Formats: sequence, C-alpha cells, structure tokens
Amino acid sequence: MIAQIGLSILLAGVLVYAWTEYRRAPVISILSILVATAGLYFVWLPSHATRLATLVGIGRGVDLIIYVWLVISLILLLNLHLKLRSQAELITILMREIALANARTAEPNK
Amino acid sequence: MASKHPKKPDTRSIWIVVAAFNEAAVLSPIVSDLVCRSYRVVVVDDGSHDATGQIAFSAGATVVTHPVNLGQGAALQTGINFALQQGADYVVTFDADGQHRCSDIARLIDALVDRDAAYALGSRFLGSSRGMPFGRRLLLQAAVWLTRVMTGLHLTDTHNGLRAMTREGASRISLRQNRMAHASELLQQIAASGLRHVEVPVTIDYTGYSLAKGQRFSDSLAILFDLSAQKLHR
Repeated sequence: MIAQIGLSILLAGVLVYAWTEYRRAPVISILSILVATAGLYFVWLPSHATRLATLVGIGRGVDLIIYVWLVISLILLLNLHLKLRSQAELITILMREIALANARTAEPNK
Repeated sequence: MASKHPKKPDTRSIWIVVAAFNEAAVLSPIVSDLVCRSYRVVVVDDGSHDATGQIAFSAGATVVTHPVNLGQGAALQTGINFALQQGADYVVTFDADGQHRCSDIARLIDALVDRDAAYALGSRFLGSSRGMPFGRRLLLQAAVWLTRVMTGLHLTDTHNGLRAMTREGASRISLRQNRMAHASELLQQIAASGLRHVEVPVTIDYTGYSLAKGQRFSDSLAILFDLSAQKLHR
C-alpha cells in the first residue's frame, strides 16, 4: 500500500506537469498524460498489469510498471531537450536584436 | 500571388546577405566583387574568432555581428531582417566560402522579375558544378527526394545557398533552425507561403576550402533530428 501511494503521488505529479506543458508542447503533454494514467491504473490494479504483461510477453506486472516508468522518463528527457531548444531560440532573438542595434554600416557607393 | 516589380531593378535596392563564420581567409575578394557590382552587402559575422568582421567592413560591406556563434540559419535570418529594415526590394543569400559566382545574382534577379516569382532558387544540377565529389552528389540527391516528400516542392537542388527573394518573399521567411536544418526549413516556409518560386541554373565551384566547410553525412542525421524536434514544440 505504501508503495502504491508513493507511486501514485509521483504519477500525479507527472500528470500535473504534463498538463502545465500542454500549451508549449502538446504532443509531449498528451503522451505523458496517457502513459502516466496507464501507470496509475496498473499501480492500483496490479493483477491487470500482470495479465497485460503476460499478454504482451513481458512476464510480470511489476516489470510492466518499470517499463512504463522508463517510458515516462524518456518522454520527460525529450521534453527537457525541447525546453533547451526554446531557450536557445530566445537567446537567438536577443542576440539578433543586439547585433542589429550595433550594425556597422558601410558607406554606400556613389 | 507575387507582387509586380519594375523591370531592371536598381542594384542599390538589392541586398546581398552573407553569413560568415571564421571566413577571414577568403571573404575579402568575395565582398569586394559584390560591392563593385553596386550591390548592397551585409555580412553577418556569426561570432567569428578571426578578423572576419573587420575584413568584410574594410571590403565595403555593412557588418552585423552576433556576439556569439549561433549558426548559419540564425545568421541568414539576421541578415534578412537587416536588409528588410534597410528597405531592400530584393534579398539574395550568398555563401561566404567562395563557391558561388557573383555573376549568377543578376540571373536570379532577372528570373524573379521576368517570371513574376517571389523566390528564385539556384540549382547546380540545372547549371553546373566543378569538383563535386560523388558522395556529395549522392547526399544532395537524397535531400532532393526527402524535400519532395516533406514539402511537395519539386526541386532539383535543395541545399544551394544562392537564392534570391522579393521583399514580400523575404518577409515570409522566419527561420527558427539556427544550424544546418535551416535550408530545409526555408523550403518548408516557401512551400507554406504559397508564393511562386522558380529554379535558376547557377555554377558552383567546389574548392578544398568549401568542401572542408561543407556538410557531411552525419550532419544530415542531425538535420532530420532538428526538423523532427521542431514539430514537437511551439
């Protein structure tokens, strides 16, 4: 029960985070919500996880949950990468403004 | 629909954008040639560690300097923005490594005017190229095929840095890909603009210098990753 509550809190955190990211990265957000919801479902109904795990050839339900967690981690890693790209775009805009404001203009040919 | 432009545009209304990063060794004659032909030239010094900016300025170009290196895509966008700010009627992008010919610019501008297009894209496969390695040819052909799939544009040369655009065409370009993927992004934006584009035969002169600065196969994988990543966020 303690593990279930702990995992649920973590997954709920992922859900909240995914919701807040929806406007910036909708694809990542939806993927995270889907995987986190599946995670929550299997945490509370492990027998279903075991049945599904057997069905897809993973073996144990707990392994399935670990795999779900791994997928969440990879999605969040991708989201971090996208955030860095957004930061780089902002820096580019700033640099461009600085560059344009300090242009050294050549004398036009007569 | 592209707007009408007067025949034989004044060369002073044509801005040549040259993105340069550590090109001090080759830049001076290129800029001088462009200036001698009465074009307005803006060199975007993309955070060079050498005297690229000073050499470009001495040769007669206007110089816009990125405080740090951002990449060719970012530099071209800065140059395009600057040219538009200065009231350019036409904007031409021109490589700094000496593989383009200044004489081809007039053909691109003529194509814009005569064929009422917003974009004139240089093609080495309609024109000619000297010293192109076989591997480079294969890579460029793969890029042509991929561009056709991604944008629907039927072009013969998708990674040619020599292009001309009208003011209206240039104002539709907003590059977010700072590095190598900007060429593909630019074509995507041309396709999305719905404005008319034409291809114009140009000559590319490959040199040991330009080949060393050019793209490799591993770069094409990075381009694919960058283009995919951009679709995942705003």
